[in-house]
Amino acid sequence: MKGLFSKFATTAAVGMALVSATYAADVVKIGVQAPITGQYANEGQSIDYGVKLIAEQYNAKGGILGKKIEVVSCDDEGTAQKAAICARRLVNEGVIAVIGSYTTGATEAAQTTYFRNKVLQTSDGTGDSLTKHKYWTFFRNSFQNSAQAEFTADYFVNVKKYQRIAIMSDYSSYSTGLADAVVSELKKLNANIIAVEKIKAGAQNYTATLTKLKSLNPDVIYYAGYYNEGGLLRAQQLQLKIDADYVGGDSNDNPDFIKLAGDSAVGSILVNFPTPEFLPYDTAKKFLADYRAKYNQEPASIWALMNVDGMLAILHAMEELKTEDTKKISDFLHTLVDFPGITGPVSFREDGERVNTKFNVYQIQDDKTYKIIY
Amino acid sequence: MDIFLQQLINGLTIGSLYALVALGYTMVYGVMKLINFAHGDLVAFSAFVGLTIYTQIFGEGVTSIVAVVTVFSFTAALIAMVGVLLERLAYRPLRTAPRLSAVVSALGAGLVIQNAVMLIWGPNMRVFPSNLLPSTVYEFGGVVFTFTQVMILGLSSILMVALYIFINRTKIGTAIRAVAIDQDAARLMGINVNRIIMIIFIIGSALGAVAGLFLGIYYRGITFDMGWQYGLNAFVAAIMGGIGNIPGAMVGGLILGLFNAMISGYISSQWAEAFTFILLIAILIFRPTGILGEKVAEKV
Repeated sequence: MKGLFSKFATTAAVGMALVSATYAADVVKIGVQAPITGQYANEGQSIDYGVKLIAEQYNAKGGILGKKIEVVSCDDEGTAQKAAICARRLVNEGVIAVIGSYTTGATEAAQTTYFRNKVLQTSDGTGDSLTKHKYWTFFRNSFQNSAQAEFTADYFVNVKKYQRIAIMSDYSSYSTGLADAVVSELKKLNANIIAVEKIKAGAQNYTATLTKLKSLNPDVIYYAGYYNEGGLLRAQQLQLKIDADYVGGDSNDNPDFIKLAGDSAVGSILVNFPTPEFLPYDTAKKFLADYRAKYNQEPASIWALMNVDGMLAILHAMEELKTEDTKKISDFLHTLVDFPGITGPVSFREDGERVNTKFNVYQIQDDKTYKIIY
Repeated sequence: MDIFLQQLINGLTIGSLYALVALGYTMVYGVMKLINFAHGDLVAFSAFVGLTIYTQIFGEGVTSIVAVVTVFSFTAALIAMVGVLLERLAYRPLRTAPRLSAVVSALGAGLVIQNAVMLIWGPNMRVFPSNLLPSTVYEFGGVVFTFTQVMILGLSSILMVALYIFINRTKIGTAIRAVAIDQDAARLMGINVNRIIMIIFIIGSALGAVAGLFLGIYYRGITFDMGWQYGLNAFVAAIMGGIGNIPGAMVGGLILGLFNAMISGYISSQWAEAFTFILLIAILIFRPTGILGEKVAEKV
């Protein structure tokens, strides 16, 4: 009986090894680590959809380096704990590059695992800390919080001339990072910050904190967090009749912000990279048209497109170099200049930082559309 | 002063929602000595059910008393049925098993409900239409409150008073109290214990359903995993008030909401949670059975 079992086990093991060996030779595996469920689900799904769309388009043209692209998705739910599990899983699957994740926190938790296993990673996370380790595997496809903070502070002080500024954030590493950066930039410009408050993401009830702000009479409330809280903050701000501008940082830019705030969304101001519909590039128009045709919806925001740009740059490097060696790809990407991406030219610096910072300020109009005001 | 009053209203609104959810925990604990960890997920489930009933029967954009009454009563009835089902499938087979098995079963049932909600309605956040209740805003000398808040405070007070009278003044209420004290003795007195437990689950789940609907209407955004957070807060409220004690759950919920609002408003929102748990620890040190909890000799 024992002999039979071990024979069976050996056959199975050999069989599996054979299958995985032939499998590995035929495909190039690209991982997606994104919050496909949970609070940031629509952002995560857009990243997943975008990557799968590009993979499909490549495969239709014969794949890359003569191999099919296989996308392996892992849902990190936007949390660090799940991100660490995803990182191990994707490494074990044998991916050569990982696209994502959406939040800085989840990206940071997975970063080191990818670096140790020589797996490339490209993320839209904007927290400054993501590039501080100088991992050669990491490429940021968006921009740094500090760049956005500088722009925001300048806009507040020199354009809007706000006199009483209230800053809010949640506890995530992205959000506190952005809020701290904005505060320090504002201090450089001698702006009058009357309050810095933190709220707990997901708590939904922010009336207590907002009532406190009301007593301080701010003329602007800046929120450096995500759209779920942003939409509710805006709605509760108007419900409490706090007469101040609402300015949201980049992660407020999501259709759910408008859905949550309802009619209160009108008049709120968002600072971000150009949103998809404002991208002037032909590549962007084509990608959006393909995306609509395949999924019958719009990508949630610019972030999915940024991640797709990271993926396109990696695929471009593979084609140029005709290699799957991640170190060589990384060296190539570090000197990449003006690769025509969907969100504009893609160039990377030596530390994996994307070179470009072009921000816009949008105001939400009566018909819930965006208008560029700065 | 008006800032203080505003914080009072903020705190009372969220506090009465905690209280409604806490009642579900405390009633089940009182009778079965079981922490029903699936209760929070049932609350989230009810928000989704309510949203679907509203959009399917009335369509978005309808504000009418008929719609409000239908949505609340249908959802409460449906969730009550789910609660009864939960007890039959997940708890009754384990009634004589060690208490830990029942707690694990409760956690599992919670996960099943949560994932069922995710599979039915998807992982994305869903948004309640803003006009189920009129969006009237009242203002009295700097203090602002909405019609929804009035509804939340009004309806939850009515429900809690009604429950209190039901438990203390009716025959079934007396039976519930008897079962809570001693199940075997109650059975010997001719009380159908299974029926009493079913009634407990019907009432607890229906109250949770009302809370879930209000959460959806007040905050608009609902996600499949929101139950855990509200469940945990309500659970803390139930313990503060004295778990197993019905007025205790109401007091605990209101204290939790008010305390949170005051700390956020006067000290810092960053400290709200820390102070809440300091309060919980302090209450448990000085009154181990909670604010209104009765002394029970068998507790260690």
